[in-house]
Amino acid sequence: MIAILKRELQSYFLTPLGYIFLGVFLIIASLVFQINNVATLSSDMFGFLSMMSYVWMLLCPVLVMRLLAGERKQLTDQLLMTAPLSSAEIVLGKYFAACMMLLISTALSLFYPLLVSIHGRIYPMELLTGYLGFTLQGFAFIAFDLMLSALTASPISAAALCFGANLLLWLSGLLSTSSTLRIAGEVLSFFNLYERFTPFLHAQLSLANVVFFLLFSFVCIIACVQIVQSRRWSEAA
Amino acid sequence: MISVQGVSRNYGRVKALDGVSFTVPKGQVLGMLGQNGAGKTSLLNIMSGYLPITQGSIQIHGFDVAREPLKAKAHIGYLPENPPLYAEMTVREYLRFCCAIKRVQQKDQAAHISQIAQMTGLQEVLGRRISNLSKGFRQRVGLAQALCGAPDVLLLDEPTSGFDPSQAVEFRGIISSLSGKHTIIISSHILTEVQAICDRVIILHQGRLLYDHPVTENNEGKQSARFHLRVKMPRQALLRALRSLPSVLRVDPTAARGDETDVTIDAKTNGGFEEELFTLLSGLQVPILRLTTMAESMEDIFLRITSPGSVRGAAS
Repeated sequence: MIAILKRELQSYFLTPLGYIFLGVFLIIASLVFQINNVATLSSDMFGFLSMMSYVWMLLCPVLVMRLLAGERKQLTDQLLMTAPLSSAEIVLGKYFAACMMLLISTALSLFYPLLVSIHGRIYPMELLTGYLGFTLQGFAFIAFDLMLSALTASPISAAALCFGANLLLWLSGLLSTSSTLRIAGEVLSFFNLYERFTPFLHAQLSLANVVFFLLFSFVCIIACVQIVQSRRWSEAA
Repeated sequence: MISVQGVSRNYGRVKALDGVSFTVPKGQVLGMLGQNGAGKTSLLNIMSGYLPITQGSIQIHGFDVAREPLKAKAHIGYLPENPPLYAEMTVREYLRFCCAIKRVQQKDQAAHISQIAQMTGLQEVLGRRISNLSKGFRQRVGLAQALCGAPDVLLLDEPTSGFDPSQAVEFRGIISSLSGKHTIIISSHILTEVQAICDRVIILHQGRLLYDHPVTENNEGKQSARFHLRVKMPRQALLRALRSLPSVLRVDPTAARGDETDVTIDAKTNGGFEEELFTLLSGLQVPILRLTTMAESMEDIFLRITSPGSVRGAAS
């Protein structure tokens, strides 16, 4: 698993993909910081994090598109599938590599609160809570998108599928409020990753939501391992 | 070392492999021939654990590929038809990664890579990106990844396809140097290549194993042998005389020059043909100008087995 993680992380920086991800993330973060903080002379970082949380919807598909679908397209999956590695090791190695990229981008975004702290006041513990939710939400998006990307053999199709699904996840939040069926609304609301992030923005360290994000990621990873495993057994059958 | 028992593989309704069985002892180089779609790649993919078996079993070094895949895979090095390379990596980085996923201890990796690079002639390109390498070198990198972890079994799927003749000869040399230390199965379209480097040949046709014999003994185990005979005798009289011999199965005239006649004779291998022929011709006082055994070439065998009218049955 460590070998896969290292290779994937290295691959992000040997190809333009890693730089595109970090570059786009920082450009958007700068714009959001300008709109939310500089233009309004506000030291409120929660507005910044709230807007940035939608960036995962756009950028997580870019992070995962190549991980499984790319291997299938280039037939390099033959190397991994014929090595003494379990499907779980392969999927986890790739998942954690994408999580590392997400952590790097999140760490780089700490520059903005640092800038605010020089000119204004920030509340470290509350900020940490917000960042914890922001990161956990990103991990959940990666797991969700990785699972979906395992369904296709084309990185472009994988990215399109993931982006569409992320959009649906967001829309499900809107649907939950407008749903006439109360149960349907509750179910949609339960799985809404954006809504689950809201308490963190109010500096509430909600254990239920932390567990939800971790469980959601765990279930998606298990499903992804099953998809990879079952695809091998049904390949071209 | 390798035991393939009754292996079948279906792709929907299409039967890619149909009850294929053979064993390969340690250190043997087995050539696998067959037309496109004969099932060669499917069989190698199944043996490597990349594809599942519909029916049957495969054991590698005593481990069942379906039941104990990780243990079986630890003994396999697989070079697919398109080498699975990460173009953005250097050769050294790639081989280090291959060593890591094949559980080579980190402290041993540098020495192992150096040894493999020497065997495959990659020392000079270890620091170069794979995307910048020629096809020949990429194929070598593919072979090098198969050698990572010093597997007992090497499965090579058309390793020289797309090579120019000199590259193919060089690559064959590398593979020959690996024989003895590894049990090797090579799938190929190139009959001369198989004849040059393999100890034994199997031919797959329409998913079935129709031929399984050592390379050097193509006539061994067969019911008949073919001879070429040149004598000083009129054609019709010669044909009549030869057809009267009990061990002769078939006689075909091939050429006639003046009073010399050339014929090919199919005769029973254990019927004492040579003795009968000598007695016959010495009685007729006909001098034998030439008598040679005609070994069936690999091409003849391949064409005979894969021809549309070939009998579909067990390995012959």
